[in-house]
Amino acid sequence: MKGLWLLLILLALVALAALPWYGSDVLVQFGISTLLLAVLAQGWNIIGGYTGYASFGNSVFYGLGAYGVAIAMVQWNLPFGVGMVFGVVLAVVFAFLLGLPVLRLRGHYFAIATLALAQVMAAIVSNIPLAGQNIGLVLPPLNNDRLFYELSLALLVLATLTVFWLTRSKFGFGLIAIRENEEGAAVMGVNTTLYKVMAFALSGIFTALAGGIHAYWITFLDPESAFDISLNVKMIIMAVFGGPGTVLGPVVGAFVLSAVSEVLSSEVTSIAGLFFGIVVVAAVVLMPRGVADVIRRFRTSGWRYFAENIKAHRL
Amino acid sequence: MRASDKAGEALLAVTDLSAGYGGMPVLRDVSLEVRHGEILALVGSNGAGKTTLLRALSRMIASDGGIRFAGRDLAPMTPDEVFGAGLVQVPEGRQLFDRMTVEDNLLMGAYRRADQASVRGDLERMYALFPRLGERRRQLAGSMSGGEQQMCAMARGLMAKPQLLMIDEMSLGLAPVIVEQLMEVLATIRTEGVTVLLVEQDIHLALSGADRGYVMETGAIVHGGDAKALIDDPAVRKAYLGL
Repeated sequence: MKGLWLLLILLALVALAALPWYGSDVLVQFGISTLLLAVLAQGWNIIGGYTGYASFGNSVFYGLGAYGVAIAMVQWNLPFGVGMVFGVVLAVVFAFLLGLPVLRLRGHYFAIATLALAQVMAAIVSNIPLAGQNIGLVLPPLNNDRLFYELSLALLVLATLTVFWLTRSKFGFGLIAIRENEEGAAVMGVNTTLYKVMAFALSGIFTALAGGIHAYWITFLDPESAFDISLNVKMIIMAVFGGPGTVLGPVVGAFVLSAVSEVLSSEVTSIAGLFFGIVVVAAVVLMPRGVADVIRRFRTSGWRYFAENIKAHRL
Repeated sequence: MRASDKAGEALLAVTDLSAGYGGMPVLRDVSLEVRHGEILALVGSNGAGKTTLLRALSRMIASDGGIRFAGRDLAPMTPDEVFGAGLVQVPEGRQLFDRMTVEDNLLMGAYRRADQASVRGDLERMYALFPRLGERRRQLAGSMSGGEQQMCAMARGLMAKPQLLMIDEMSLGLAPVIVEQLMEVLATIRTEGVTVLLVEQDIHLALSGADRGYVMETGAIVHGGDAKALIDDPAVRKAYLGL
């Protein structure tokens, strides 16, 4: 059974990796943005899914990663790789500076405290000449979608392997304990402050890398698009749709919802947003614990699974 | 040196400890000692400062005064370092991981241990000590009865191989027959070298199962000594036992 799963995942991976050689240009572009969204959902999964802290500040990591690459390449004429490292450094510094005070808050308070961060960062960056103020920065174009696609795929694999390692490690066990009962975790000798900040930083590293790739791919960056709260909402929806606190859930969620959103916006254009909203509401009502939980439980409870969830909502 | 060789010596010595919350003092110059291999009862009514004292000892809150444990100064340590030193708390309200299995809760207790190889054996020892937990090892901790949850919390604490196990309000909300079982378990683990600090509101229960006891009142220790003598002390009887 385990071998079969591994084989399926490997086959899917090979099919994905080979896509630029058999897919159309449009499909490859769709692939890049989907893979990057999946990285964001997987990054959010570390702090939101495993540690239980619903972060709305992850889009700041994304913006910092994007600006790291843009500033390094445009202002300092450094190579892309150095820009990525610079973006990661910015994200980790931000995670520690902000995580130490903000991660003391729990539940809704933490979510609200992080909600404004993206707005604040957009305002700050708009006033920094090095970052091009509110005009933004234009990066040197590199017309190589195949490269961007493979880079994004590699990053997603790395993020997913990291989450898989989390589920097997003492560190990950500690994070789950924090999610389940933070007081209990502290009493059992888990250094909760350190663990939460490390999870926040780890989440930030992958998010920043995705932001860096995206900036170089799109070749243009301004504060509004870099620190976009709706992007943060998107990663949460995708992670929760797929199954937060699972290894493959956020990836599946990102793939499915990106595809649904793409089909809707090409078929019904003007009211695509409405349909997308309906899909999300239906998903939350019918399967609040995500696709991963449906797959686990459908075999035993069948269609009753959905009925039970509706009942649990008292609809 | 085996535990029995040290019997009678101080394992934990607290001197002039003061602590509070946000400028509001709760503990005033508390001094006490816990000796190797004993069951010590710390009793007192609601709001006497018992839980605050435990929180200060495990460094969850700041305090002034000396805390020496097994030859080390705990005052500058963080909660996880105190835990690593062998001072383990079974907190009030148990604080279990409700959506994790009993077994995962116990494994969480062994989280910081270096000797992971012997954890398996210790799990089996816990299941022998608490047969009910053995039957329910795959069950979610939150779905068990209050008594079973208290057993789970105590077993989780023991999985950390503590030198001193501090149990806060062990009997709260439990049936007398369960409390009796838990007291027997305390007597058993004491013979295995674990010293116990039992914090209780149920003064009669705690003192009758302990070797020595301290009585706390509004943040200070007002009586202390041999547990049997405390039960017979007219002042304690009058104030707390309604006799």
